[in-house]
Amino acid sequence: MLRHVTKRLFVSIPVLFGVLFIGFMLMQVVPTDPATVLAGPTASAADIEAIRESMGLNEPVIVQFGIYLGRVLQGDLGRSMISNSAVIDELANTVGPTIELMAASLIWAIPLGILFGTLAAVRRGKISDRIIMAASVAGVSMPIFWFGLMLIQYVGFKWQLLPFQGRAGPLWTLEGIRHIILPAITLGGVFIGPVARMTRTSLLEVLNSDFVRTARAKGVSERVIVLKHALRNSLIPVVTLVGLQIGFLLGGAVVTETMFAWPGVGRLAVGAIVSADYALSQGAILVLAVSFIAVNIIVDLLYAVLDPRLRTS
Amino acid sequence: MNATHISISGPADELTASGMSPRRSTLQKLRRDKGAVISATLLAIIILAALLAPVLSPHDPYDNNLRNMLKPPVWAPGAVSDHLLGTDGLGRDILSRLLYGTRTTLTMGMIAVLAGGIIGAFLGLLAAYYKWLEGPIMRIVDILLSFPSILFGLAIAAVLGSGIFSITIALTVSAVPTIARITRGAAIVQMQMEYITASRAIGMSDARIIWFHLLPNSASTIFVYLTLQLGQTILLGAALSFIGLGAQPPTAELGTMASEGRNFLFFAPHVSTIPSLAILVIVLCFNVLGDALRDVLDPRLRQ
Repeated sequence: MLRHVTKRLFVSIPVLFGVLFIGFMLMQVVPTDPATVLAGPTASAADIEAIRESMGLNEPVIVQFGIYLGRVLQGDLGRSMISNSAVIDELANTVGPTIELMAASLIWAIPLGILFGTLAAVRRGKISDRIIMAASVAGVSMPIFWFGLMLIQYVGFKWQLLPFQGRAGPLWTLEGIRHIILPAITLGGVFIGPVARMTRTSLLEVLNSDFVRTARAKGVSERVIVLKHALRNSLIPVVTLVGLQIGFLLGGAVVTETMFAWPGVGRLAVGAIVSADYALSQGAILVLAVSFIAVNIIVDLLYAVLDPRLRTS
Repeated sequence: MNATHISISGPADELTASGMSPRRSTLQKLRRDKGAVISATLLAIIILAALLAPVLSPHDPYDNNLRNMLKPPVWAPGAVSDHLLGTDGLGRDILSRLLYGTRTTLTMGMIAVLAGGIIGAFLGLLAAYYKWLEGPIMRIVDILLSFPSILFGLAIAAVLGSGIFSITIALTVSAVPTIARITRGAAIVQMQMEYITASRAIGMSDARIIWFHLLPNSASTIFVYLTLQLGQTILLGAALSFIGLGAQPPTAELGTMASEGRNFLFFAPHVSTIPSLAILVIVLCFNVLGDALRDVLDPRLRQ
């Protein structure tokens, strides 16, 4: 298992490097000269030149990349051009809410998806199976913003049941919980379909295997077979899927945060891009990419825990 | 989800006992699938309507009239017969904007999938044919595949600025890895066939083998995934437009229209509901059709 983990970590190093390089390139191709911006509108050409020199902007690109790497590793991502606060501080405040939102979405969507998938597999070919599968295709095809808009319109506005703007505070307060419900339903909603589909496929495969036939021959009840024998064995592909879909979830989070004014990284990134705040958008994209890599590693570790075959080999 | 269905299909799978040509048998099987027939018909109508937008539109989609704004669609009280689907916040005719918007959205998606498909198929074929290229190409493809497409959208919009052009590039990039992987999978099956060895033996050039053997025999698989990819791409493009990074107002584009309607959600929900529903229908049709095509062309999943 240790070998598996170290191998994964080693593979992600070049990827991380690539992401940093892209982040660096983002800053290279933007149309503004950072020295000019930093010097302000009244600076003389000599001042700007001095700043260029001190920022290392006159060095070859490779050296600049080195300087950039050094800065990023120290947590220095530059300053936002609009708020003039350090990018790293702005980001630090948004990572938490994004993780919160993603967790709150997965926590109900995955069990529900597994439940629907199991129902569909057990009643394979029957009407309930067909309905669940049709609903899952429809769910995958639905623009996430439409689902969110409907929730805002009905639950939030017409029936006045739940708030739909922003985050009210930590999740252990009642208002905090109330504010996260609608965004979490929106983001989790698009996730049920894929999970249900995968569970169904995987469970059907396991239900056809020899050990299930043996269990049936022994006279084990169908309920116990499905819940105790088959479902557990069919969950590994579901974990794979969840891992693969984390990126998809991240994309959904960007849209959901924008819609519900949820103060997360995605909303920050979109706002920064729209207002051409290059340092901030570069930082936000970097954080999104790095956390995505981190999540992938975690999912990999989770496999090793779930699948004993991986642990020993 | 891409890694979960590995497709293996080729000419050998398609030879049916009745001796029908592979293409005809595919069409016949498709015709038995009701969902596929309905989706294909709907898509044909939608594409036709989008193509004929200038002819079909009752109004100019950019013609605003503030005295006539936020009129409800014809089935709701207070509607004006002149605007079948009502008007938006600037008094523009929603039906006309829907037609033009579908045109923009479909064009964006199709260009991206076509461009991404060509690049992806090219990379996939190279990876399947030249063993020494397989490692580097597939490693890059895996990395691209592992990144959420929305990040490409954000990164490209950050550099090039928001707009249809940046988003189309982002959508193209996001289509490349899926198609590359699928093409390689299909082409590798072909590489093990004896006719490839035979072609080499008679001295065919690499380029000819790739172009005349590998590509045509992998084409059906590539086509299925292009269809499925189109749905995903359109959905992603609409989402990027919705958050303000894609088509910019006043351009008629479905995602942008849905986003503009957000301001009137509470008293004129149809302004954003109608374009959103249009996206849902289009993507659903591509997904159902793609699934059906896969079932027909991929016998491993057919049961």
